Amino acid sequence: MGENIFVDFTAWLRGLISGLGVPDLFNDIILMIVKLAAIIVFIALNATWLVYMERKICAYIQSRVGPRHHGPVGLLQPVFDVVKLMTKEIVLPKNVDLVVFLLAPVLIVVPPIVAYSVLPFGKDMVAIDMNIGLFFLVAVTSLSTIMFWMAGWASNNKYSLVGGMRVVAQMVSYELPLVLAMLGVVMITGTLNLSEVVNAQKNVWFIFAQPIAFLIYFIAGVAETNRPPFDLVEGESEIIAGPYTEYAGMGFAMFYGLAEFANMMVISAMCTVMFLGGWLAPFGLTFIPSWVWFFLKMYLVIFIFMWVRWTFPRIRVDQLMGFGWKVLVPLSLANIFITGTGMYIYRAIGW
Amino acid sequence: MFGQGLLKGLEITWGRLFGKKHTVNYPYKRIEMFPRFHGRFQLDVDKCIACGLCVNACPNKVIEMEREKVGKKQFLTKYVMRIEYCLFCGLCVESCNRDALRFTNVIDMNQYRRKWVRLTLVDRPAPEAEETPEEAPAKAAKAEAAAGKAPDKEG
Repeated sequence: MGENIFVDFTAWLRGLISGLGVPDLFNDIILMIVKLAAIIVFIALNATWLVYMERKICAYIQSRVGPRHHGPVGLLQPVFDVVKLMTKEIVLPKNVDLVVFLLAPVLIVVPPIVAYSVLPFGKDMVAIDMNIGLFFLVAVTSLSTIMFWMAGWASNNKYSLVGGMRVVAQMVSYELPLVLAMLGVVMITGTLNLSEVVNAQKNVWFIFAQPIAFLIYFIAGVAETNRPPFDLVEGESEIIAGPYTEYAGMGFAMFYGLAEFANMMVISAMCTVMFLGGWLAPFGLTFIPSWVWFFLKMYLVIFIFMWVRWTFPRIRVDQLMGFGWKVLVPLSLANIFITGTGMYIYRAIGW
Repeated sequence: MFGQGLLKGLEITWGRLFGKKHTVNYPYKRIEMFPRFHGRFQLDVDKCIACGLCVNACPNKVIEMEREKVGKKQFLTKYVMRIEYCLFCGLCVESCNRDALRFTNVIDMNQYRRKWVRLTLVDRPAPEAEETPEEAPAKAAKAEAAAGKAPDKEG
């Protein structure tokens, strides 16, 4: 029931366009544009919802009730936020590097959108079934660092600069354990294609096969998305808002709302694909469509992200770097070693 | 165990997530303030003898009082508090010998315009002097004196 809605729709659209006598090449291009538009709409809708969800969870954890006035149970709050941010002036401070300053908030949303093109949302639901999907995704998401650095540098502000420095230090440091954690999964599956990674988890999810890798991935993922307790980049109490300090209105919204939540969704979706069995249904509950399972798992991970965010205080910069380089990296290397040894032993005994 | 504190923190926030919420739906539902709360002032006009102790006690000169002598008594005609300058110290309430001035626990004194903030507790005209029996002749005599005998006196 509903399992093939999107796949069937794509096939129908392809048939419709080729029925109009459009050559196959243009047909592919049109379909790709439709898919990317769908991804952008998906990200925008989810980001708005996540703003609401974040505020609600924050409020509930702090024994409050959160947004409540606009719409039923405050559901229209993000809409009001967006309208407010859109109507605000974009302030251009003196002596900013104008091109870079204005380009940074536009480019910041590109990596997550591009990353989504290789993510399998459900059975056969992937925009581009790339055989190096994982590699592509990791390469693209690490680009965000440059946008943050652009914003930090172009603002011509000491807080922005410090924030930008912290972004580079943090994201580069935590990229390493993130990738090394995923390497354990790749060693078991022997493929970089995300659909095949999901299919390899038919018998057992990799969270059970690779628990340490999952933990490392989760921690590094929180750090990658610059969310508390790793939000040194913003660090309100220390450096105002880091690279976002000089941004107002929609520029700020692009960084804070769209990019942060889009990045968080990418990290959660990757977590789902790599460790939680992607769109595979647990306990044989296959009557629920695969893409619903994907969503449920993704939102579970997002919830844990938020739960962690509103529980732990921010850690110091030296603690951050120490934790990244002295704990997570050796741990992930050890995990790779253990995985390799295990695989070798299993192969030797012919299991 | 390493990480025990982290798990404990998560456990606490999990409890809060489903625990009781302390927010009150404010404009529609309000918390009753404590009886001793320093809120809006209340003046019992019948008890007030317009002595002016509260005016003198106020460090900010918030209280503006107008009184007229009606008969032998002071009659309070106007009692305005410039609440925008009030610091709710309670010295006026303490100084009141007749317990006429009092705090209530009403907190919402906010207004849209600054000039509306002023709290008018009493604003009434003084009654015409009652023609009490002893007073009437005296007054008549006074009036008489004023009318007829004034030139004499002056001369």
